[in-house]
Amino acid sequence: MSKVKMAVDLGGIQMRNPVNTASGTFGNGVQFEGFYDVGKTLGAITCKGVSAEPWDGNPAPRLAELRGAAIMNSVGLQNPGVHGFVKRYGEYLESVRSRGCAVICQVAGHSVEEYERAMDLFEEFAPFASGFEINISCPNIAEGGAAMGATPQSAARVMSAVRTRTKRPIVVKMAPHDVAAIGHALEESGADALALINTIPGMSIDVRTRKSRLARATAGVSGPAIHAIAVRMVWECAQAVNIPICGIGGVTTAEDAAEMILAGATAVSVGTANLTDPLSAKHIVEGLEEWVASQGATDVNDLIGAFEC
Amino acid sequence: MSVPTNAHDTLANVHEFEVVENKCVADGIWRMRCNTALSGLLRPGQFVNVDVPNDASHILRIPLSFSKADAKNNELELVYAVVGEGTKRLSAMCVGDTSTMVGPCGNGWSLPKSDGRSLLVAGGVGLPPIMACARMLAEKGIGFDVIVGAQTASRHVEPILDELRALPMQQGCDCARTLVLTTDDGTRGMRGFVTTAMQDMLAERSYATCYSCGPNIMMRGVAELAHSQNIACQVSLERMMGCGFGACSCCNVELVGGGYALCCSDGPVFDASEVVL
Ligand SMILES: Cc1cc2nc3c(=O)[nH]c(=O)nc-3n(C[C@H](O)[C@H](O)[C@H](O)COP(=O)(O)OP(=O)(O)OC[C@H]3O[C@@H](n4cnc5c(N)ncnc54)[C@H](O)[C@@H]3O)c2cc1C
Ligand SMILES: Cc1cc2nc3c(=O)[nH]c(=O)nc-3n(C[C@H](O)[C@H](O)[C@H](O)COP(=O)(O)O)c2cc1C
Ligand code: FES
Repeated sequence: MSKVKMAVDLGGIQMRNPVNTASGTFGNGVQFEGFYDVGKTLGAITCKGVSAEPWDGNPAPRLAELRGAAIMNSVGLQNPGVHGFVKRYGEYLESVRSRGCAVICQVAGHSVEEYERAMDLFEEFAPFASGFEINISCPNIAEGGAAMGATPQSAARVMSAVRTRTKRPIVVKMAPHDVAAIGHALEESGADALALINTIPGMSIDVRTRKSRLARATAGVSGPAIHAIAVRMVWECAQAVNIPICGIGGVTTAEDAAEMILAGATAVSVGTANLTDPLSAKHIVEGLEEWVASQGATDVNDLIGAFEC
Repeated sequence: MSVPTNAHDTLANVHEFEVVENKCVADGIWRMRCNTALSGLLRPGQFVNVDVPNDASHILRIPLSFSKADAKNNELELVYAVVGEGTKRLSAMCVGDTSTMVGPCGNGWSLPKSDGRSLLVAGGVGLPPIMACARMLAEKGIGFDVIVGAQTASRHVEPILDELRALPMQQGCDCARTLVLTTDDGTRGMRGFVTTAMQDMLAERSYATCYSCGPNIMMRGVAELAHSQNIACQVSLERMMGCGFGACSCCNVELVGGGYALCCSDGPVFDASEVVL
């Protein structure tokens, strides 16, 4: 293809192109190897959120579909714990990395102490991780999760705690609110990059039974319907911080990814689109390069934040 | 917890398909035959995740079992009920239309672990995977009987029932089989639920293995009856599915021993004694 430079640096995580995958929508990569060569294609993959100990996640049903534009999930971070994760996926993730794709491991917890413990275990047992993503924005767990990222103070507390446990790059996955103030606090407390947005809390009621269509009253909305909101939040956050941002939310096509970059994102994660069309992320890698060339640019980095107000 | 991939299975991929037949075969139930290379990769009890063209109501694909995967003729047969916008649009696909399906998805039926007859119990559109199971058993020369339940006479899928009766056995094997039909309203066959028919069958003959697919409440009844007679029972479960291949953890099934399995990648076929039905 063209001689366009696509490599980006997400706070120390070197990516061959800006395309990453959104945690929880891409398994841990291996599920997509039948569709395309993940390690040779993507800039990075972000694994499912993992806690120090195994978590069961929430009861069924965990998924509802909202008239063709969005889905809602209440998975609640079902995961096998760091040891189970490393045992099951470590070898595979090493091979992803050796093929030139960055591997970002996502860290989850209910409390500052649990984040620290998970971080310590990852630091010791996950040499394959290019960097870590701290999830302080899961709307589907009772304690911790989004509550940890609710205010600039609580977000900074988690960030400062994990900062002392690793020298590898740390990305923080943010909830869809107050992104400028919280982003700024995270930068001050040592975050290398920010990832936004996580799902937007929503509700879906079955009017015949008067019950939620999911097992919980509220769940996280994702997919094309949230894209415009996500682009706006990336733009607001980018103006408040000097660290790179990974734009997430309804990215379905290369054009959606390009919008994120123009709004100020250095990298872009593909989420729900992986479920709609498992080849989405690969198509976005290809389309993004064409878009950069079509803009007359030779380096995708020159287009980051190039939105003209 | 789920195992990421099944080492001896083909990984899921996106496959094109072309419709060769799509017609109404019972009240509100359609049968589609399509050409796809996927037909050579599927095992009975697995499923596919179909992208229905012009379906503005879904961003997710539609998971469907199949009644026949004919590798020789490159042909896959789906039987589906029209229940909402997605399946309505699917029924509007014409001969020659193309789209894609993801597969192979999930793990299929296991062959019986012990010698003896099998009992197959289908309810509603649980019929297609049971038909695929019948083919598997017939090919191996394993004798079986079948119970098929429907709400009412017009919902019984005649062409599939005919095939079930006529399925040729591996030569030299006993090919006599009983096919019992039930309807909730008594308009065809026995009146009542498949479990009533099952009780009668169990009283007359002994079975080593039971295979079932249908509404959850039906499978619960079938599994209880099977369990009471020490018959190994496999059930094929349904869940709302995000991906269909183990990537999103949306399709959890509660395990008897605690925790969850994933319906798409650990199932959809489970040992009935291991899951909370
Ligand atoms: C493994 C598996 C195999 C299946 N095999 C068959 C089959 O062989 N024949 C058949 O008629 N039906 C089968 N189904 C059910 C079929 O997938 C649904 O009927 C179909 O998705 C409905 O779509 P719709 O747009 O017409 O209806 P909608 O109005 O969208 O939904 C109607 C109902 O269908 C179910 N459904 C909707 N979306 C999904 C989804 N993404 N995943 C799972 N269920 C969903 C829900 O129960 C929902 O309430 C199977 C389901 C699963 C999970
Ligand atoms: C099924 C599902 C599971 C998810 N699991 C996680 C998770 O474990 N950790 C996390 O930070 N975000 C999780 N998310 C949120 C996504 O990473 C992403 O932020 C969100 O879906 C918005 O992007 P999208 O619209 O492209 O899907 C999940 C989303 C979905 C749909
Ligand atoms: S539907 Fe995604 S894991 Fe089962």
